[in-house]
Amino acid sequence: MARSKRLIWLAAAGMLIVLVFGLASCGPTVTEPAATQPEEVTPPDEVTQPGKATQPPQAAETEVVAEPAEEKTSITLVIPEDPPSFNAIVGDTGYDALVMNLVMLGLTGVDAESKVYPELAAELPTVENGGVIVDEETGTMDVTWKLRQDVQWSDGTPLTADDAVFTWEAIMNPETGTWVRGSDYVDSIEKIDDYTFVFHYNTIYPGYLTQLGGEQLVIWPAHYCSAEEGFVAWECGRQPLSTGPFVLQEWTVGDHMTFARNPNFFEPGKPAIDEIIVRIVPDDAVRKTMMINGDADLNMWATEAVIKELQDAENVEVSISPNNRWVMRLFPNQAAKGTTDPAASPHPILNDVRVRDAIRMAVDVDTIFQDIFQGFGAPVWTEFYRQPYVCDIPRPAYDPEGAMALLAEAGWVDTDGDGVRECHGCLNANEGDLMQIELYTYAEYGEPLELTQQYIAENLGAIGIEAQLSIFEGSVMWADPESGGIEQNGDFDLDLWDDGYSGTDPTDYLWELYYSEAATPGYGWNIVRWINPDFDALLDEAYTLDEARRKEIFCEMAQIMDEEVPVILLFSTVNADAHSTRLHGIQSNINDLVSWNAADWTVEE
Amino acid sequence: MTQYILRRLIQALFLLFLLSIVMFALVNLAPGGPLAGHGQTRHVRPERIAMLKRQFGLDKPLPVQYVVWLIGNDWMQIDADGDGVPDGYGARKGVLRGDFGFSFRTRKPVLEEIALRLPNTVYLMSITMLVALLIAIPIGVISAIRQYSRFDLAVTTFSFAGQAIPEFWLGLILILVFYAWLKNPFTGEPLLPPGGMYTLGEGFSVRDRLAHLILPVIAGALGWIAWYSRFLRSSMLDVVHQDYLRTARAKGLDERKVVYRHGLRNALIPLVTMLALDMPYILTGAVFVEMIFSWPGMGRLYYQSALQRDYPVLMAILILSAGFMIISNLVADVMYAIMDPRIRYE
Repeated sequence: MARSKRLIWLAAAGMLIVLVFGLASCGPTVTEPAATQPEEVTPPDEVTQPGKATQPPQAAETEVVAEPAEEKTSITLVIPEDPPSFNAIVGDTGYDALVMNLVMLGLTGVDAESKVYPELAAELPTVENGGVIVDEETGTMDVTWKLRQDVQWSDGTPLTADDAVFTWEAIMNPETGTWVRGSDYVDSIEKIDDYTFVFHYNTIYPGYLTQLGGEQLVIWPAHYCSAEEGFVAWECGRQPLSTGPFVLQEWTVGDHMTFARNPNFFEPGKPAIDEIIVRIVPDDAVRKTMMINGDADLNMWATEAVIKELQDAENVEVSISPNNRWVMRLFPNQAAKGTTDPAASPHPILNDVRVRDAIRMAVDVDTIFQDIFQGFGAPVWTEFYRQPYVCDIPRPAYDPEGAMALLAEAGWVDTDGDGVRECHGCLNANEGDLMQIELYTYAEYGEPLELTQQYIAENLGAIGIEAQLSIFEGSVMWADPESGGIEQNGDFDLDLWDDGYSGTDPTDYLWELYYSEAATPGYGWNIVRWINPDFDALLDEAYTLDEARRKEIFCEMAQIMDEEVPVILLFSTVNADAHSTRLHGIQSNINDLVSWNAADWTVEE
Repeated sequence: MTQYILRRLIQALFLLFLLSIVMFALVNLAPGGPLAGHGQTRHVRPERIAMLKRQFGLDKPLPVQYVVWLIGNDWMQIDADGDGVPDGYGARKGVLRGDFGFSFRTRKPVLEEIALRLPNTVYLMSITMLVALLIAIPIGVISAIRQYSRFDLAVTTFSFAGQAIPEFWLGLILILVFYAWLKNPFTGEPLLPPGGMYTLGEGFSVRDRLAHLILPVIAGALGWIAWYSRFLRSSMLDVVHQDYLRTARAKGLDERKVVYRHGLRNALIPLVTMLALDMPYILTGAVFVEMIFSWPGMGRLYYQSALQRDYPVLMAILILSAGFMIISNLVADVMYAIMDPRIRYE
């Protein structure tokens, strides 16, 4: 008995030790908020740069220290997960781009109307101002960028062309870099003087304006980032220096990030807000409640249901982007399920364009986006639906009767009256085969997409096509071919998901989704395996700077795609961000995260 | 006894090795992969995927990947730039030398990721467990000695409810009630915070810490209270009818001593075993509680890594919790022998 008593004491003591350990462990995080006051512009102290001078960047300390007497304006953003780092192109989660916009800038940005504007560039290089020189003979071009001369990093070092060259070379490093749009077209980058550098292109690349800018790319400090650690992993991606309106003060992983106003920001008088706190709140219901309760000022990526719900809240507004980026669509596989060559093994049902057209006519798009997506977004039936490339393609009518006639014409008839058509003289299936397909979608989108999937199955059922439904995780759906990616391996009949592009140049996006070379598994995303030489030729020709010709080309493409129905576009989903009424200047933007114009935000109680 | 423990430890190492192979295979063979697009990109360019594969070491066959994971690749030539020619030794040291690799998501060393979250989870879970025990033990005892009383019936009902109510639902309801509806009558502020570990911008205060603990601890502890009190009730009931209790009463001991010194002491033995087996939860955390209450802990890290197929983080958490589970088992067995002299291991 005595022994067991000792044991219980021992156990109790053990518990206590664990407890003390638990409480003590929170020590560092506790002290941090207090410690942040004096050294405003210094990035958090864990920054160690092997091989780099570790002089703590301390510019214009005095200016900030003078302020605390006044009431400082502070806003809180809530996001569901930590950004992996500030290097948005590497993590590609959106949360990284959100915080990157606060501290770092690229050469250019893209505004809500899809217009490119200069950030760190002094002006946009064009053919007219001599910034772009095209060599028609060799089909190459040079783009000369001039940097602003009044920009300095938050440690006081001026931003120069060396930083731009350093960044590009870090991206292009085959070991530690990453692939970015246009990188195949850049032969080299060359510094002219401290504020001027040139991209030498081996082709004519219309997307050159966002080469080191846009949503995900920024210029990194050459004197601070370590090329040895490499672009994808460098520590300066977690403890960045600023050229942007704010400076990172503190990042307690899993809990919050704190940003202070950058006193050295090059736009005089901006930003107007002293402090931005980004809190990590994983649950959407809790984030919404915090918005309603006034404890959060900005909740990005509001879904249709949330917008509807927040419309009644007094202190919350929703900013809706003037145009949309994501288009919900059906991907009909033209190769038989599990194969990738439509010529050798055509899909028994979906290879026939009449069947694809019938499906397009059978889906009741209006009901879906009105009832399930709350009327936000808009019906979309061509890839060229938004500026700067809008083509006049008549909207296909919702016409189940017409669809049924078309299916009958294609040799699909229901002779036994069980509601499912069979092949009687159809193009690719065996005589008597049933018109059954599988309809997949992905899980992460949640309820609206699941309802959509069910409703489309009903629509198809009404014209005699039986659809079986499955839902997969995104990491299974879009995995690479070796990891069993459903799309890459062509392991589907008809898939439902959303895609789209940001910015103004659709060429890369069109190449990835529709070009014939992109139909090879592991080479592109032409997962419907649509092979059309006319389209290919047009796309090749679209790599030009002649805007008038580009418009023509894209509308010719739109015509072909309307006839061939490689992908059935349905409707665009809304791009919106919820914010408190006291926060002004929020403009939801399909080309960037909502923080794209954070320097212009103001707070008015 | 020492010999027994030693033997078990050696067995544990072997078991852990086998487990690591099985886990590595399962984690990697599960459909899907870390290279699939999410968030901003649905379709990732193949050029980029090829690069990521090299950077993550996924370009090697699975057995090689396992060997690299276990003993590192600083002894073998690798092709880092993808030109087909090996160009130097790798940098990985392998798990056996304490290198769990880097997270695919953040590219930070896995152990660093875990070290950032582990203390927070231990802090929350140890308090949750302690609270659960402090409430469950008296409840269990009373409902056993007053079997079928009103108290017992109420507690039994509560226990079933407690086990049946999902943590995430309870958590949301708690937030709704104590954060959204109820206000502090003096300040007009919400009664309790909706999550996080402390209030930003305010210095350390025990009061503030406690305020942030209340809701997650309630949400987390309810299930444990129900479970432990049920467990103790039944083991107490076993003991209550034993002869030695009757003897103790016959000796003229007062009822309090009979129940607590003779009864509870014996009824606790199985509970201690159970507790030892539940110890790994203190490290791995409760996913839903951490999600709902924005608690930066291990549960959330695990959930996120599983969702995004962050293999190195996933493997590290699995191995660590498996190791802890094995050790807890051993501790449970040893405890059992010490507390119950009738049991001997040779």
